[in-house]
Amino acid sequence: MHVRKNIPLILLVLTIIAVPLTISDPYYLTILIFIGIYAIATMGLNLLMGYAGQISLGHAAFFALGAYVPAILTTRYEVPCIVAAALAVLLASAVAYLVGLPCLRLKGHYLAMGTLAFGEIIHIVLNAEVELTGGPSGIAGIPMLGIGNLSVDSDEKYFVVVWVIFVLLFALTRNIINSRPGRALQALHGSEQAASAMGIDVPGMKLMVFILSAAYAALAGVLYVHFVAFISPGAGDIMFSIRMVTMVVVGGMGHLWGSLLGAGLLTVLPEMLSYFEDYDMLIYGGILLIMVMFLPGGLTQGFERLWATLRNRRNPT
Amino acid sequence: MTIEKTIVTIRNISKNFGGLAALQQVNITVTRGSITAVIGPNGAGKTTLINVLSGFLLPDSGSISLNNTVITGKKGHMITRLGMARTFQTAQLFGTMSVLENVMVGRYARTRAGLAGAALRLPGVLAEERAVRARALKLLDLVGLTDQASLPATSIPIGSQRLLEIARALASDPQVLLLDEPAAGLNTQETRLLGELLQTIKNQGITIMLVEHDMELVMDISDDIAVLNFGQNIARGTPAEIQTNPDVISIYLGED
Repeated sequence: MHVRKNIPLILLVLTIIAVPLTISDPYYLTILIFIGIYAIATMGLNLLMGYAGQISLGHAAFFALGAYVPAILTTRYEVPCIVAAALAVLLASAVAYLVGLPCLRLKGHYLAMGTLAFGEIIHIVLNAEVELTGGPSGIAGIPMLGIGNLSVDSDEKYFVVVWVIFVLLFALTRNIINSRPGRALQALHGSEQAASAMGIDVPGMKLMVFILSAAYAALAGVLYVHFVAFISPGAGDIMFSIRMVTMVVVGGMGHLWGSLLGAGLLTVLPEMLSYFEDYDMLIYGGILLIMVMFLPGGLTQGFERLWATLRNRRNPT
Repeated sequence: MTIEKTIVTIRNISKNFGGLAALQQVNITVTRGSITAVIGPNGAGKTTLINVLSGFLLPDSGSISLNNTVITGKKGHMITRLGMARTFQTAQLFGTMSVLENVMVGRYARTRAGLAGAALRLPGVLAEERAVRARALKLLDLVGLTDQASLPATSIPIGSQRLLEIARALASDPQVLLLDEPAAGLNTQETRLLGELLQTIKNQGITIMLVEHDMELVMDISDDIAVLNFGQNIARGTPAEIQTNPDVISIYLGED
């Protein structure tokens, strides 16, 4: 009964199986791994922005926290990766709770400014706390992911780990959206007053989705740091926060598949445009501008329109 | 156990906005199972009263009790959970969701599924989800919106949006339903159907308190009417009493 609805997910799983068997070029594998990592962070931010209608311009900070905790714990204290990863996600969630408590009382532009300020504070701390974070030069030599003797020691294996996590999270997130808490999130987007009149604790619900989205970003940070094996404060940069927001918007706000499409496009596009050398940023900006102007619903909307056109052509009425 | 005759007691409620006294020492009791209307000219404080009752505004003084429990100072979502649900003067629907999903959100206060249970689709959560959907469909049937269940909520006509708000509020199993101008923007035919719907809801044992401008509807369905003018409660009685009350007539027709 649900097969039809799950066709895109089944295709994705088949692709995940096929890629490591057919692609061995490390360059392409690396790009595909990055897409998976960013898609996880984007999915979390999409819950906050697309579904609950709240903005955050500080999500790179949660990504950076997720990356720095394992970097510090595995290189200096030899904490097992899996424990460090769990602590990273927990710390990011705890910070999200403390930041969200005051910030989420703000709305619109003010919430954007509040989260922006938080992101900058984390960025400054990462630069300044040289003893803890290595300062501007960062931390290198972070070990591979692994449990006990099992180590994710090749790009092919890393690809599978990242994408299996993405598919699992995707399924869980989709379940949440089509449920009581998921509908409550979407209610916030529609009308906070009416949401409250339905018995929804509006500030509590906002805080919950903020923490959830921070946890996704932190998990993406964990996957990033074990793959790149190096981390510097650049990961918590405001520009990266804005890039995540752009991924959500370009992919399609409030569309789960949009998270993957947005992360994919914004990761692949700069690589493709590097061919144009000095003009790459100009073309990149132009493409984004045209997309936002003609596809305000993002890539998901584009695909939906294309699909509708094709179907109408096949069965003209 | 005897059931109290009075379900809502509004005692000496005052609310000021800066220098403007929106409500001054208002006292109203609502009889269980009745339809009680609050009428009055524009700016009389009717919507302020609904907002204070539903916990959206804090009164400056006075108290409100529901089933003999004081609810003054409780947050809006708590008041819904305690059994008093409301609609809005301009329909506030959840635009990203369908008509059916809007009513399903209304069931929030009476369901439990949490984040983890929902993510893992635990059997209990799935059973609850089925029950929520069935209940929402039943309520859409009650208000006559079954055909439009899958449409985006804000795409349906204004008259239907008002009915949807009522169905959504009913989904929380309220004992008291607060309606803020339910007939605003409806034509004569729609208003007549609304009156019939409100009678049906009353017959299910739900107390209705409404603020309304449409006098024909008010006189037709109300058991009890309270008249506000400049934030003061100036008259109280059955439709027949209110229609012959000289103070009320002078407000509505003007004094000479």
